[in-house]
Amino acid sequence: MKHILILISSVLFSILFYEKSIGLNLLLFAIVTLSILVVHNPEQFKSKRVMFYTIAYTATAVFVFIQDSGLSVIANCVSFFTLVGAVSNDKTSIYIHWINGIFSSVAAFFFRTVEGRKNKKGKILNKKTDVLHLVKLVGIPLVFIIVFVLLYKQGNPMFNNLVDKISFNFINVQWILFTVLGYYLFSNISTPVLVEPATSKDINTKTKLHKTESFSEEKLKKEKQLGTTLLGLLNLLIIVYIATDIASLVTLNITRAPDMSAQVHHGINTLIASILIAIVIILYFFRGNLNFYSENKILKNLSYLWILLNVVLIVLIAIKNQNYITSFGLTYKRVGVHVYIFLTLIGLITTFLKVMHIKNMVFLFRVNTQIAFAILVLFSTINWDYHITRYNLNYVNSYDLNYLIDLSEGNAIQLKNHSLNTELDPKFYNKIDAKYANYLRHLKQKDWQEKSFEDFSITEEEKNL
Amino acid sequence: MNIPLNLAKSSLLALVIFWTIICAEEGLDNDLVLVILLSFIPVFLVVTIVITGSICPIFWFAKKENSNSIQIFKRYFPYYAIIAFFSSVFGIIISNYDIYLMAFFVAAFITSSQSWVWFANENPRHEAT
Repeated sequence: MKHILILISSVLFSILFYEKSIGLNLLLFAIVTLSILVVHNPEQFKSKRVMFYTIAYTATAVFVFIQDSGLSVIANCVSFFTLVGAVSNDKTSIYIHWINGIFSSVAAFFFRTVEGRKNKKGKILNKKTDVLHLVKLVGIPLVFIIVFVLLYKQGNPMFNNLVDKISFNFINVQWILFTVLGYYLFSNISTPVLVEPATSKDINTKTKLHKTESFSEEKLKKEKQLGTTLLGLLNLLIIVYIATDIASLVTLNITRAPDMSAQVHHGINTLIASILIAIVIILYFFRGNLNFYSENKILKNLSYLWILLNVVLIVLIAIKNQNYITSFGLTYKRVGVHVYIFLTLIGLITTFLKVMHIKNMVFLFRVNTQIAFAILVLFSTINWDYHITRYNLNYVNSYDLNYLIDLSEGNAIQLKNHSLNTELDPKFYNKIDAKYANYLRHLKQKDWQEKSFEDFSITEEEKNL
Repeated sequence: MNIPLNLAKSSLLALVIFWTIICAEEGLDNDLVLVILLSFIPVFLVVTIVITGSICPIFWFAKKENSNSIQIFKRYFPYYAIIAFFSSVFGIIISNYDIYLMAFFVAAFITSSQSWVWFANENPRHEAT
């Protein structure tokens, strides 16, 4: 029964994806994947964590259908590997889910072959041997028969005519190979495997720091003095920098796009350097026994202050970037700067929590990768092309129309409507009309598997603008 | 490790996968048979370079007193497979889905993975060589 399900799924895989672009098919693939995972691993789906990843995977698949954007496809792939990894073992960190998920999806077949052979008395060995024998039984004679038929065709014209009359044109070998690929994928994920010893090591690794035997008050006192001096001076320096940055933000009136761009990018470079050094220094001083030293209060407070001042630095960069966006509109790069700033803020908060709750580096890796995954899923729910176009056309005076035209075809109707209601440079009318015509042509060429929600819901009025 | 046998089996497997993918796209005719047979030589060379350059060193370096081929396979193959998979996908994408390069990367990934399996499943009497 389970085997038949995989066979049916692999045929569905070809129906959905063979010579097709991404659209509704990825949502249907998610449903098929979930069915296979649930049927083969019902026990794992009782876990709350697996259920959470199931919801995340389903949500990203729905948003691939709704948004049809590259980001939602990436989020869907990452969620797929995370879910498969969580089914293999739900107790590990998310990055171990990724390793287990990717490995299970791409090479579990080979792994199980060795595992099955190891278990000599088990049933798996017999099954694998039978499959291998079957492949040999069919494959080797088939290869030789083809070679000899082709050779004999040369030697005998009658045999040649006879063979020429045989036509296998109705068989699409590529389609069959694609189905085999689907079978390989589904059979791999049906029973995910574990990468050892990474999985067991991760399960056994705790996030709490403990006092070690090398605890020495004298050494720690010297280390604390060094840390206090260093962080004290760095705090002073960053305060001066922030004061001058605020002054320049208030007094300087930069209105040209290249100047604003340079200001934001220089600020970002400063931010990257400052925050990386900040995190490394804090992690260095709070790597071990200094966490348990009774006189570490000043050093801790200086660390908290430095984290806080770096947050202020982040806010200043965000203001500069927002000024840039308000004046010259949204672009992917400017959104990217905001995302980067947000991720940096998260990094600082988790560093703060690490110091406060005496956690180790594993804590940082675990929490930050989990947050990065959550942000990826969250951001994939936004139709960026639509929102960038809408914001720029409605709220910005000096936007780059060429940039909007170069975005995906998802904004073709918005741009066409805009060109009908606004007076533009004549060259833009041609470009927008060409984009709109391409959009309609591609829409017509799309099969049902490739269509997105927007393609299904487009009105006759929108088709005839 | 029985490297010659592994190379022979892997070359045959790579040849079959490579030409199956190409023939599925472009069809099979009489002229191609000779090319397929002759292509065994370059395929063998590539397989030899890949296996002796990337798989054998892992077995040689990781072989300790207490670790047998299966343990080495279980410890290192997952990372090898993940890197090989993403390298192959990257190669296919930058080749703009060219059928020959696609066949090359697919054959390389499957053959190298199967080669690991053959090394891991080798009879212990070959382990000393």
